[in-house]
Amino acid sequence: MVEIGLEELYSDIILDYAKNERYKKEIQDAKKAEGKNLSCGDEITLYLKVKDNIVKEITFTGHGCIISQASASMMCEYLEGKTVDEANKILQEIINMSQGKEFDKELVDGIEIFSDISKFPMRTKCFTLAWHTLDDALNGKNM
Amino acid sequence: MLSSKEYEEIFPALKRKINGHKLIYLDNAATTLRPKEVMDAVNEYSLNHHANVHRSTHTLAAEATKYYEDARSKVANFINSETEEVIFTKGATESLNLVAYSIANSNILRSDDEILISTIEHHANFVPWQQIAKIFNLKIKYYPAKSGIFDLSDFLKHITNKTRLVSITALSNVTGQLIPVNTLIKQIRNIRQDVILVVDGAQAVPHLPIDVKKMDCDFIAFSGHKMLGPTGIGVLYGKKRYLNEMTPFLFGGEMIDKVSTDGTTFNVLPYKFEAGTPNVDGAVGLAKAIEILERIGMDNIQEHEKQLTSYALKKLKELDFLEIFGPQDETQQSIISFNMKGVHPHDVAHLLNDLTGIAIRSGHHCAQPLMKEFGTSATCRISFYVYNEEEDVDKLCEGLNKVWEWLK
Repeated sequence: MVEIGLEELYSDIILDYAKNERYKKEIQDAKKAEGKNLSCGDEITLYLKVKDNIVKEITFTGHGCIISQASASMMCEYLEGKTVDEANKILQEIINMSQGKEFDKELVDGIEIFSDISKFPMRTKCFTLAWHTLDDALNGKNM
Repeated sequence: MLSSKEYEEIFPALKRKINGHKLIYLDNAATTLRPKEVMDAVNEYSLNHHANVHRSTHTLAAEATKYYEDARSKVANFINSETEEVIFTKGATESLNLVAYSIANSNILRSDDEILISTIEHHANFVPWQQIAKIFNLKIKYYPAKSGIFDLSDFLKHITNKTRLVSITALSNVTGQLIPVNTLIKQIRNIRQDVILVVDGAQAVPHLPIDVKKMDCDFIAFSGHKMLGPTGIGVLYGKKRYLNEMTPFLFGGEMIDKVSTDGTTFNVLPYKFEAGTPNVDGAVGLAKAIEILERIGMDNIQEHEKQLTSYALKKLKELDFLEIFGPQDETQQSIISFNMKGVHPHDVAHLLNDLTGIAIRSGHHCAQPLMKEFGTSATCRISFYVYNEEEDVDKLCEGLNKVWEWLK
């Protein structure tokens, strides 16, 4: 069972997102938030531009493993154009998913590929790094 | 050395299967596996003899005290020190914090004295010195190890007439480079007699014979759990001349002599540095672990790991998708760090575990200044102990090939 999960975790989609550089850049005049996984040494800086309550632009810089990079990349792609309220709802569902709780599949469309992440407790923090940083950028807090 | 079957009997975890694969444990620098004999000794003490030590007069208290003090003698004999020079702590980290804080708090150092440490240190032998320098307004200097490799003659150039304390690891927890501490101490003493020499022995003491009298260090710190013992027990060896002069680190319990509203006086060594009820279970476990190590022989352990490390370096160098850190020669012992080109160490470690049952470490290994020298944020690290063998290295190489095929 675990190996099937592993295949999914390192699927072509996730590997492609991890290599995707489209959202890996700094943007000027954006709100910045920094996230770290202390024991791993992984770091991420998130750049968020919100206008008229809509996420206009969202990018990130930093380094980490495939899971953390793919998660950040997917997050940026998915949230662009969403309202701040929608982004917060998605964030909550993502956190629920990462903890193995019930979550709204429609709201996490695409990112559901990580639905098995809770089966890998040592990797959950890799997946959630970008999302915790988003929480800081949106709401000024780390979950 | 014993056969793998014999080691399986001593270390039950070696019989475990991880995702259907036989466990190969290569994370010994983090902590070693537990021998059943150690846990049996702890259980026997805990269930039948446990009481608080050095206080009550009843039978159990006398037995518990004997267990605890016998453990101290065992440690002293193991490192060739005097018994009262062995202080039980929580681990190497606490030992190093104790030395740093107590030395700084005892007016042994003057404000223009320099503390010299290196950039290859574990955070436990880096941050305490940095912090006490800040708190007590002392000067700290860093020896920058080029490419993360310690060079003795280069290091000695950093000794000035202001150097008053040097703290150095005996074996890098990242590269496995064995630092020639005996020579280093001798040469420093030739330059300046009054330099206090502190050794972080967390990675060395479990893997090679250590004789503090021959080494002539002033302090050495190590942990029980990296040498087959339980977690939560460690040792600080210190020369009496300094320990007597130093102020206690923590206050209360057995370290007290007399207390009144006029003030407090403290117990003699080693109790002066052992506040509160000590970890007797841990000390008993550590004593049993030392018995096992002595049975195998520290010389045999060192020889076995030298051969194994040299074999592993040869095999890993054949994998062209790896970048290996450290000297990559016979000065490396029991630990090797590497990265798979373009792949993050966490991904390598996770896939190795799930696909092959091989346990390795990934991360910065509490050595961020060294990671900076390597120009990376993390590495994969393998580390050996008595129960590892060449077959483990062969399986690791197969596993790394598998991971590379998956992720390249």
